[in-house]
Parts: sequence; C-alpha cells; structure tokens
Amino acid sequence: MKKQSLVLIAVLTVTFIFSTPIKPLAAPFYEGKIVKLIVASDPGGGYDTWGRLFAKHMPKHIPGNPTIIVQNMPGATSIVAANHLYNIAKPDGLTFAAVHRGLPFAQLFKSKGVKFDLKKFLWIGSPLAESNVLMIRTDLPYKTIEDLQKAKTPVILGSAGPASSQTHFPLLLQAFLGINIKMIYYRSSSDIALAIERKEVDGKASTYGSFKAQVQSGLLRPIIRSRVSEPGIENLPVDEELVTDKMGKTLLAMRTGPDVSGRPYIAPPGVPADRIGILRDAFKKTVNDPDFLADTQRLQLEVQYISGERCLEAVTQILEQPEDVVKEFEKYVKF
Amino acid sequence: MIDGFIDGLLLILQAKPFFYMLIGIAVGFWIGILPGLGGGATIALMMPFIYKMSAQEALPFLLGMHSVCQTTGDITSVLFGIPGEGTTVATIIDGYPMAQKGEAGRALGAALMSSLIGAVVGAMLLALSIPIVRPLVLALGAPEMFMVIILGLTCISSLSGHGKRGLLLGLLSGGCGLLFSLIGQDLQSGILRFTFGQLYLWHGLSIPPVVIGLFAIPVIIDLIVQGNTIAGDVSYGKLGKGAMEGIIDTFRYLGLTVRCSLIGSFIGILPGLGGGVAQWMAYSHAVQSAKTIKEREGFGKGDVRGVLGPGASNNAKEGGSLIPTVAFGIPGSSGMAILMGAFLIVGLVPGPAMLTKHLALTFSMVWTIVVSNIIVVLVSLLFINKIAKLTTIRSSLLIPFILLLIFLGAYSSNNHYGDLLVVLIFGALGYYMLKLGWPRPPLVLGFILGKIAEDYVYISSLRYGITWLLRPKVIVIFFLAVIVALYPFIQQRRLLRKEKNYEIQP
Repeated sequence: MKKQSLVLIAVLTVTFIFSTPIKPLAAPFYEGKIVKLIVASDPGGGYDTWGRLFAKHMPKHIPGNPTIIVQNMPGATSIVAANHLYNIAKPDGLTFAAVHRGLPFAQLFKSKGVKFDLKKFLWIGSPLAESNVLMIRTDLPYKTIEDLQKAKTPVILGSAGPASSQTHFPLLLQAFLGINIKMIYYRSSSDIALAIERKEVDGKASTYGSFKAQVQSGLLRPIIRSRVSEPGIENLPVDEELVTDKMGKTLLAMRTGPDVSGRPYIAPPGVPADRIGILRDAFKKTVNDPDFLADTQRLQLEVQYISGERCLEAVTQILEQPEDVVKEFEKYVKF
Repeated sequence: MIDGFIDGLLLILQAKPFFYMLIGIAVGFWIGILPGLGGGATIALMMPFIYKMSAQEALPFLLGMHSVCQTTGDITSVLFGIPGEGTTVATIIDGYPMAQKGEAGRALGAALMSSLIGAVVGAMLLALSIPIVRPLVLALGAPEMFMVIILGLTCISSLSGHGKRGLLLGLLSGGCGLLFSLIGQDLQSGILRFTFGQLYLWHGLSIPPVVIGLFAIPVIIDLIVQGNTIAGDVSYGKLGKGAMEGIIDTFRYLGLTVRCSLIGSFIGILPGLGGGVAQWMAYSHAVQSAKTIKEREGFGKGDVRGVLGPGASNNAKEGGSLIPTVAFGIPGSSGMAILMGAFLIVGLVPGPAMLTKHLALTFSMVWTIVVSNIIVVLVSLLFINKIAKLTTIRSSLLIPFILLLIFLGAYSSNNHYGDLLVVLIFGALGYYMLKLGWPRPPLVLGFILGKIAEDYVYISSLRYGITWLLRPKVIVIFFLAVIVALYPFIQQRRLLRKEKNYEIQP
C-alpha cells in the first residue's frame, strides 16, 4: 500500500511536470533583457547619432522587446571597442557594436594593438553606404578635376588626420591623377567646417552626407566622387574611371571598399545562430521602419540598407589582397 | 530685434516649455553636483526624450539642464574641494579653503550669486553681439587662436605662487601639464607618443580623471589623516549663516564679477577653446585685482574674489558658446556639439537663418540660460545654509561616499579601468605637489591648452608659412599676452612702493 502510493505520487509528479505548459521556456530569449550597443566613438559624432537611433527603434523589431542601451567606448579609432568585442564581450547576443568602417585597414597593416580578426565577427549590417566626394569652395576658380591638375599653388584640403579616409582619398587622387593639393589636419569635422568658412582651407574630401548642407548653401562644390554614389551626386566623375594606371585602379577600389559598409554593426564571434539571425532581421526591419526613417530624415541622414554579408564581403576583399598591392597601398593609406 | 528679444522671453514662459525647463533644471542640478558627470554627456543621454518635442520645448529642456550644471558644479567644488564639473575646478582654489575656515555658506552664496550675474551678463552680451558675431568669429583664424591660447598660458604667472621661486614652480608645473597633454596619437603624423603599448592612451588622457585625481585625492588623504570634519573646529551654529554675506560680497566686487563674466563670454564665443579655459583666465584676473601684497598672498587661502571670478565666467561662457553653435553650426564645446544634434532632431538648421528668421527662438535660448539660473540660484539659496553643514559631517562617514562618487565620475569618461588608474596616479602627483608647495592650477591649464596649442601652431605654419607671425591681429594679441604675463611683477612693484609710502607717512 505504502509502495503503491509512492508510485502514484511519483507518476503524478512526473505527469504534472510534463503536462505543465512550458511557458517560461517559450518566452522569447530577449524578453526583459538588456542589450548593450557599444559605440566606438565619443558621444555626439555620426556613429553615436546612428547608434542612438538604433537603440531607440530596434527593440520594437526584436521578439521580446529588450531594452537597448548605448555605451560609448572611444579610443584608437575603434580598435579598443573591437578588441573588447572580440576578446571580452560574451557572445550571448546581448552585446553588439558600431565600429569605424576603416577598421579593415588596421588589420591589413597589422597595426599595433589589433587583437581581432574582422572576418570572424558576425556582421549585422549597415544603414547606409558612404560615398566620398572631393569638395572645393565655390569662390575659387577650380571647377573640374583638370583645374585642380593645373593649379599652380597647392589647393589646401582640411582633414581629420592621416588615418582618415578624408586623407586617403585625396592622396590617391594626387598620386594617380596628379592634382596639386596639400593636406592640413584638424581635430574635428566642425573645426574643418569653420576653417572653410574662414577661407583657411580651400576644400575637403569627405563623405557627402556630412557636408551636404554646405554644398546646398553654395559654399562648396563637389568635384569628383568615389564609386559608391548617393542621390544628388550621381553625375560626378568617378575616380576609378578617370585613372588609367592599373595599380591606381586597384588601390582606389581598395580604398573605397569600406565605404560600402558605411556604418557597420558587428557582433562577437560565436553568438548562437538563432540570436544573430534575430539581430540581423531586426536591423533590417529597423532600417525600413517608417518611424526610423522619419527620424533620419529630420537628421538629414540618407538611408540604404546594406546586409551583413555585403559588409563582410567588402571587408574580406580588402583583407585578401596580394602582398605587393598591400605594400603599394600602405604608401598612401595609414591607420 | 527688440521684438525678437521679447518674443523669446514669452516663448519660454509658456506652460509647456517652462515645465520642460523645470525638469531640465532638476536633472542638471544633480548632474552638476556629481563629480565627473558632465553636461555634455547628459545631453547625449537625454536625446531620446526630445524626438517627440517641438523646438520650443526641447531647447529649454536641454539648455536649462546644461547651464544649471555649471552653477551647481560649484557647490561640490566649494564644499568638498572636488570638481563637480570640469569647468568648476578653479572655484576650488579659494572656495574649499573657505569651507575649511567654516565659511562654506559665504562661499556658496558668492558662487551662486556670481553665477547668476555671469549668466545675465553673458546673455546680455550675446543679445547685443548677435549682429556682429559672424564677422568676429570669422576674423580669428588658426594663428589668432594660437595667440589666444598663449594668452591663456600667460595666466600661469598669476596662478603661480609668490616671488621668484613661486613663479619657477608655476612654470615647471605648467610645463608638466603641456607634457601630459602630448600623450596619445599625434594628430598630424599619427605617431604614438608615450602610449607604452596601451590602447587606452591612444586617445590621450581625458580631462575629468586627471582633474579629479589632482584635486580630489589630496583632499581625501587630508581628511583621513586629520580624521576631523572639513570645517575643522568651527562651531555648528556659525555655519548656518553666511550665505547672505556671500551675496553681499558679489555686489561689493560687482566690477570684478562683471569683468570676469565678460572674459567668460569672450572665451565662449571662440569655438575650439573648450569650456575649461575661461575659469582660469577669470581666476587669474581676480588675483590681479588684489590691492595690497597681503591681499595677493591671501588668494588660494580663501579669498572670496577667487570664488566670484570663476563662478561668473563659467555661466557667462554658456551664452558665448551658443553663438558659434547657433550662427555657424560649429559647436564651441562638446556639450554644444551634442546640442547641435538636438537642433537637427527638432528640425532646426543652425546657420545665419537662426539670427534672422528664427531670431525669437535664438533669444529664447538666451532667456533659458538666464531664467534657469535665476531659478536654481533662488532654490539653492533656500537651503544653502543647510548644505553648508555637510562640511561638519565626520570625515569617516563622508569619505566612502565621496570616493565612490569620484571613481564613478572618472570612469564615466572612457568606461575603462584606465580611468581609475589615472585618478590614482594623478592623485599621488597632486598630493605630493600640495605637500611640497607646487601650484596645481598651472598644470591643469597647461594640460587643457597643450593639445589645441599644438594643433593651431601646426595649422598656422602649414597654411601661412612663417608669415602668420606678422598678421596684425596676431601681433596685437601677442602684446596683450606680454602684458598679462608681466602684470604680476608690475603689480608687485606697485604694491611694494605703495606700502613703503604708507610706512613713511605715519
């Protein structure tokens, strides 16, 4: 009798356990969780603005609607953040990052401090592709690339530093199209904007988006662009088409590689497939979300969804160049 | 113009904008008091809230918060000798000794009232200068900016101790500051300087951990060693008064307060100098106002004028730094850079149109600075005497709390454990400097100005060759700098002569 009742209890318990609806397990992983979005630059810049937009809009599109918080981790042009993501952050899908698109060059040149392999990161995507444009003040007589080639005194361009694409692009144009330029470095994009107003510099090469206002107000005139285009500058001459030298074409194509990945978002290697799938999916849905688009429009940002695979492809292409090309490239491009 | 001025005031006195401004003030009040957490980062944190607001609501909210930070930052500086904000370090130099003498209430009264006057003067100057501001800012290129920085560095001569030895120590300290500013990746060539293989150092040292280390750690060590309260043996009852005295002090030295406000606005107008410079220039101007040698020596030991100067300039600077942001879309400080992002969110494009079409809105920003400061000063005055009694809390109760706050504050600048190490290293440096009688302000000034000085001298030479030295405006500012550098000696000689005369006369 005693034994029977024990068995009965055991059976009842087992049935009870298995018959209970497994609600806690069926709840989405992200429910009630906090997701950390690491932004690899100071508050206030372009990368930060994008990051905060995603933190605001992305949770809607993740099942379970987690809270996304932005953590700024500036330093060493994103190397600090990328190292953190690769080596320290847990690959549990609760951390992802917005990093500088120029990072592939750091890895390509084996820069000091690089402790990551970009090809192993899980690429989530980018909200746009950035185009690089050379812009000159409209009060100067330089209207075309020929005018710049014929310039008697060097045309002075402002840039954010030797490791910036704002420098790489014009230096390659100088080497392969023979334009007469001189670079001066400023600490921030707004310093360059002021220097242009003061006529301290003659122009600058940068992403079109960040200086569109100056073009529209008639202060700057776009002269030449790189392969990636944007509405409004489709008809500008393209660098790779003007250059005849074969090595020149290769190097220009290499430089423009990261432009495709615009503002890339990455997750640490080893995030479970279902979770990275959720993040990629949510990212894509966010970029097409009308509310998100309304906000970007107010901030005057162009939007164009770039998939994670496309970003990774662009990065891989840069990292797998032959040795001699890399050596030649390193003459103009620094990190 | 006058219409815009009045319309601007009416804009923020409407119910909703006013309500949002009050929220901003409440947030800013605490951010200002907490060390390390700055106004700029706070605006970044508040950004998500403004998407749904209109421009008339968002700007009072953000600006009210940002400008109040500078005011309440002074409270921490005075009470604990710990910089509440990067821009309120100079208030410590005389404010904290006053607290130690049991005059915390007076120092706070002076800091708050001078902040209010600074805000009003700065805003008035901003309102008056709107028509001429564009040419003014455009007139100062890289060479002129470099000279203004040199002008700032010459303040070291006033910030140093007395006599030849004092000056030597001051110069050495300033030189150390310049050296520390060189740490990190050089902008022009990309070369890594003194980074010792640490990625953390690529970015250079951040200002908050350095300043917190230099000033807060020595205070804490001092408190532990003495095992007493900050206000020492001063009787409890005496502390409850004094705020009124501080307010009267402000009006007693009204000329000085207004002059320091003007210095603050001018520095604020120049984009790219950063918020930390104005306070030191104002402080050194306050030192120069000493009328006798005894007075001169009293600075750094608790002279109320040393509180008035930086207090006024900090808030005046706010109005000034709005100008480049609003008129050019070129932010004068990191806080303003983030504010500019907010402009775009609420649908405003900074530029000349802000001075014509949206003039009322621009003036409403001016008014926000004034009104929010009036509110916060009035509110603070209500319980300032109570706050002053914090200095009578036993140090063993106070220290753990302060330590937690300063490390949190420092850590918030890079979110990296390196920030904590920097606090400790500069804490040790600050302690020994204090012990051996080395002045710390020159070090801070050299550190803040070093980096931008290098940028501007490089840009000037690359752009203009050697000829930049001959630009008329450069020469004028250079002579100003020479005068500022030599002024303490002239002052000393004059004072000595005067005192000799006094001695003969009786």
